[in-house]
Amino acid sequence: MAAIPTLLPSEEFREALRRRGGEAAARCYQCATCSGVCELARDEAPFPRRLMLWAQWGLAERLAADPAVWLCHQCNDCTARCPRDAKPGDVVQVIRALVIEKLAFPGFLGRVVGAARTTWPLLVGLPIAFWIALLAVTGHFGVPAGLPQNWAYEQLVPHLLIYSVFFPAAAWTLLAAWVSGRRFWGLLAARGPRKKSFVAGLWPAGREIATHTRFASCGEAKPRRLGHLSLMWGFVGAAVTSGLLIVGIYIQHLAMPLALTHPYKLLGNVSAVLLVVGAGVLVANRLGDTLKAGAATAFDTYFLAIVVLVIVTGVLAEVARLGLSPEFAFGTYIVHLGLVLSLFLTFPYSKFAHLLYRSLAMVHEGGSEAETARP
Amino acid sequence: MTATPSRPLLVVGAGIAGITAALEAAEAGREVVLVERDACVGGRVLRNHHYFPKLCPPSCGMEINTRRLERNPRVRVVTGAQVTGCRANAGGYEVTITHAPAYVNDRCTACGACTPVCPARVKDPFNLDMSEVPAVRLPHPNAWPKRFVLDRQACPSGCHACRDACTYDAIDLDAGERTETLQAGAVVLATGWDPYPLERLPEVGGGRSPDVISNVQMERLAAPAGPTGGKIVRPSDQQPPKRVAFVQCAGSRDVNHLPYCSAVCCLASLKQAIYVKEQLPEAEVTIYYIDRRTPGRNEEMLGRVAAMDGVRLVKGKVAKVEPNGPGLALRVEDAQAGRIVHAEADLVVLATGMVPSLGDGARVFGLACDDDGFGVENSGIVVAGVAHRPEDVAASTRDATAAAARACVAAGRSA
Repeated sequence: MAAIPTLLPSEEFREALRRRGGEAAARCYQCATCSGVCELARDEAPFPRRLMLWAQWGLAERLAADPAVWLCHQCNDCTARCPRDAKPGDVVQVIRALVIEKLAFPGFLGRVVGAARTTWPLLVGLPIAFWIALLAVTGHFGVPAGLPQNWAYEQLVPHLLIYSVFFPAAAWTLLAAWVSGRRFWGLLAARGPRKKSFVAGLWPAGREIATHTRFASCGEAKPRRLGHLSLMWGFVGAAVTSGLLIVGIYIQHLAMPLALTHPYKLLGNVSAVLLVVGAGVLVANRLGDTLKAGAATAFDTYFLAIVVLVIVTGVLAEVARLGLSPEFAFGTYIVHLGLVLSLFLTFPYSKFAHLLYRSLAMVHEGGSEAETARP
Repeated sequence: MTATPSRPLLVVGAGIAGITAALEAAEAGREVVLVERDACVGGRVLRNHHYFPKLCPPSCGMEINTRRLERNPRVRVVTGAQVTGCRANAGGYEVTITHAPAYVNDRCTACGACTPVCPARVKDPFNLDMSEVPAVRLPHPNAWPKRFVLDRQACPSGCHACRDACTYDAIDLDAGERTETLQAGAVVLATGWDPYPLERLPEVGGGRSPDVISNVQMERLAAPAGPTGGKIVRPSDQQPPKRVAFVQCAGSRDVNHLPYCSAVCCLASLKQAIYVKEQLPEAEVTIYYIDRRTPGRNEEMLGRVAAMDGVRLVKGKVAKVEPNGPGLALRVEDAQAGRIVHAEADLVVLATGMVPSLGDGARVFGLACDDDGFGVENSGIVVAGVAHRPEDVAASTRDATAAAARACVAAGRSA
């Protein structure tokens, strides 16, 4: 007879699940409709039924080590069909938030961001306050006199100042993400044998991330897929633009501000359009049918709000430079810098961390093709 | 106590619950009026091929019941009529009974001379619309009262072939509706149930493929008096199915459909699995379930079916049924194995549940319903059978007996 597995239910996890919006899990009676409905579920490892069972039991260790948690796009096809209104889509969303918190390094930052419902003023306010203080201390607070007509932001906030904040912030974030990612990768390997090596999994995973092909099989979430795709490529475009600008400034010695017709500028503006469209779709989805969007937890709303505010202040700062007063532009820019810093620093602990964990889960699974292949 | 003769009990609905309540009260000495909307008594049970767990035909027991009705002078059976009004008064209730036009009256001897000359065809309600019958006919072989019915709406304009053929002057094509008033001491409502509509279950093929049928349709397919003469075949090509899948909880225990357990579907499917295997020993039968609810002596039936060769019980609610070539493709998680099953079937039986059928009753009798639509008894109006709660035939008869007792008490109180 096989050994009886020892389960370690965590009452703490169960309590956190209830508190954070996953209380409907208690209604699940394991009929498996959800797994049967889910187009993302692989035949040999269907979800979300087992995730619901583990959530009811509080088996946090198993949930943290299961790639299925991340392969779910919360399209809520399962929630729409659930005969018990146990809202599997919403529950798995809360599980993701709790896994992010569990794997966070250092742990206390995970808890601080995890409690975004109460800590959000701190998470948004501190980085903005930091920028104001930094500019004040370095004598850059305020609009300098004698600004030319076609001024550039560099004349308000020197690039060096920006690098001195964002390079260390990025380095720290990458370190924290690396530690958490290693933890997750190890848990995945301990739970199930890896199909392929990390490198072999990169290509199919990368293709899925770039195209959201599997996401398209989510019935209830068609508009959200396009919104997310647009937003993601907008961020990629913005990041590439930033890299190109560093090349432009230090290697090509381009004069700032660039003309609106410059390729870098065009790329930046196309990215901005993608960001605005993507964020708009996601916000509209959030405000629309709550079944399709899923319940909004504070943790989710916090991340979406930060993303939207970064985009809004970014676009507003550009527009302000072209037409509005430099004072208004300066204010907007500071808020923008603060929000971007917040986004950077909370990356491993906020919903943003799905970029890390979902990507790793997809690499682990070897990408989309093998998974969706049907007999 | 007054010396005036006590008022009769009114029993509404002559299915197994209503017949039982009427007989129990009458045999206890009460006058009873039993009102049935259909042309004959028997209700849903007569449409079953077999009862579980004994696997015997319901017509047997119903014959005993109709004999009891016939022999008991205290029961007046009124068929083809509905209660359309009810007003509480000092001695109980004043009730209005509306009789549907008696196109075929009680002079009918069921000789059958009319049927061959009838040019009109209608879908047979006794066979759940799965076959066609002449507009004038005996409703089914076990019809009681044994009298023909005429679906007047189906008559071609000006046709009177049946009237001409009838030598007993039993057909009156110009019959009209009539009403009567009755003073009743108390009321037993036993209006039964309707099958949950297949069309509401399109995700599992309901209404989208002829080969996705309900469990009540399966009973007709297997019944000797059914549309296929008792041959279990796929409706699409009339071939015997090689693979039969039962989808349990199809529309039951589901907040999107019926939130309650319909109480009979597990056993109905086990029963059907047994008779499918008896008729088609080579067929592969799979029952997909959430839980197997077989309390009491029914547990033995579960054991019997589980031990049968070629029958599998798979834990998992079927999520999707889609046409796939000539067959049907099922998608379900086998929750014990933890994997998705892509099963093929030739015939899918949706184990649909029971919807309480109070019809206009709730309004006419001023009756409250619970959240699920089942009738809630008030002092002089007692609800019995599946109009009261989901239950099988055995429980329904016990419920009806209890209802008869309570109605007798209520009638005694108001007299």
